[in-house]
Amino acid sequence: MLNETINCSPDIWQPMRQQQVFRGLLDSFSYPGRITPCADHETSACLSILIALVDGETTLADPQQLLSSALWARLETHPCVSEKAAFILLDGASEPDFDPCIGTLDAPETGATILLRVAALHHDLTGNFSLHLSGPGIESTTSISVDGLHPAWIAARQEWVSAFPLGVDFVLCDEHNFVAMPRTTQITMGDAA
Amino acid sequence: MNSNYELPLEDAGYSFGFLDEYAKKEVRRCILKAIAIPGYQTPYASREMPMGRGFGTGGLQITLSLIGVQDTLKVIDQGSDDSVNAVNLRQFVQLTCPGVDVTEKTEEASLLQSRHRIPEKPLTEAQILILQVPYPDALVVVEASEARRKIMHAEADYSRLLVKLYEDIVHFDEITISHRYPTRINGHYVIDPSPIPRWDVPKLHQSKALVLLGAGREKKIYAVPPYTLAEPLVFDDIAFRVEDFRDATGVRHACRCCGSTVSFLDEFSNDQGMVAYQCSDSAYCEEQQQTGSAA
Repeated sequence: MLNETINCSPDIWQPMRQQQVFRGLLDSFSYPGRITPCADHETSACLSILIALVDGETTLADPQQLLSSALWARLETHPCVSEKAAFILLDGASEPDFDPCIGTLDAPETGATILLRVAALHHDLTGNFSLHLSGPGIESTTSISVDGLHPAWIAARQEWVSAFPLGVDFVLCDEHNFVAMPRTTQITMGDAA
Repeated sequence: MNSNYELPLEDAGYSFGFLDEYAKKEVRRCILKAIAIPGYQTPYASREMPMGRGFGTGGLQITLSLIGVQDTLKVIDQGSDDSVNAVNLRQFVQLTCPGVDVTEKTEEASLLQSRHRIPEKPLTEAQILILQVPYPDALVVVEASEARRKIMHAEADYSRLLVKLYEDIVHFDEITISHRYPTRINGHYVIDPSPIPRWDVPKLHQSKALVLLGAGREKKIYAVPPYTLAEPLVFDDIAFRVEDFRDATGVRHACRCCGSTVSFLDEFSNDQGMVAYQCSDSAYCEEQQQTGSAA
């Protein structure tokens, strides 16, 4: 459906570049709500993250077929249904229509990581949908705004993360940046500025 | 040994960071989940390293999975940059990660791998502290079965641990845990914060820097994210207290080298059998001696 909009440069397959992408990701998980530039500017942020994290040990769901078959071959990962996958790649503009794996009490780390592609992430409240965040990694509160995210995601997430330690971890990605919202982050939706 | 044997000449026989990329990816995935579930001991497939388990392989695997050529690494063993464990691990990283800088100055490092101490100098958001952990589970003293411990952790059921602390108070009038003090992270999981002294436990609370803890032998990684609650387990009427280093008359000992009275001190006996005190954090002590501004 959106195949042509996911970009991939040859550099991203280099371990050194993946290490830089991962360090950005580590920062964004440590400080939720901080919009982090992806270390590879020529590869779509969501794909950079997948390349840095997935391999044959993991499962990936791509229900909207955002990835080409050539990319699937290089990712070496196993396709899976959204309900069971460790990683899920989706376009954030459409509504959630499934329940992801939220882990079990003795293995909460099996809760899914959900990568949502959005049109744009904004440090300020100029986007058409504001999120106010608090929780671990955030000194008091922080706010960002997003274009191209269906509000139903935030409501659904609220449900999925309601019983800590169970939950899912979100990463919102625009073309060149990403922002992480691990399950501990409390999100309130705000009005557009 | 075969006398014709030759070591591989190319040090490029190893990939950057010694670990293969699949191993690094697994550790990286595990670290992200550990941050997302603060204090939860995330299992991972700890790799064989060319050093014995128990020599910091857990911390080392985290360091090697994070490190890149833009990093500056500091390695500490019991506060010191110059003791055996620190020197060996630092040399190993220099050998396997060409282009990485190393330093002894806390403020210059982007990654700090440490055994049993957190530096005196406060860490910043640009730094990541990696602690080597021998025993990751605080509940191991009260429950032998890991399956049951996992359930207790999931339910945040630490009543038996609190009973243990209570028994200490009954027997000795105070909680006798000197290091590895059980600490509750973000109001849920209780961690063993590795054998850091009590002195260092408050530094975990609302830390500016990410703290990652790796137990290689026990195959666990857990994290204390920045700006996160880290509360030592205590009772309402018995406050947590850190080492105070006072002598019998109530005067605080000073470091014999730099004279600091605000740092964590190691106790030594000199040749005459006299007890002497010295800063445990060697980088801090040296800086105090150079600036002469010891408090």
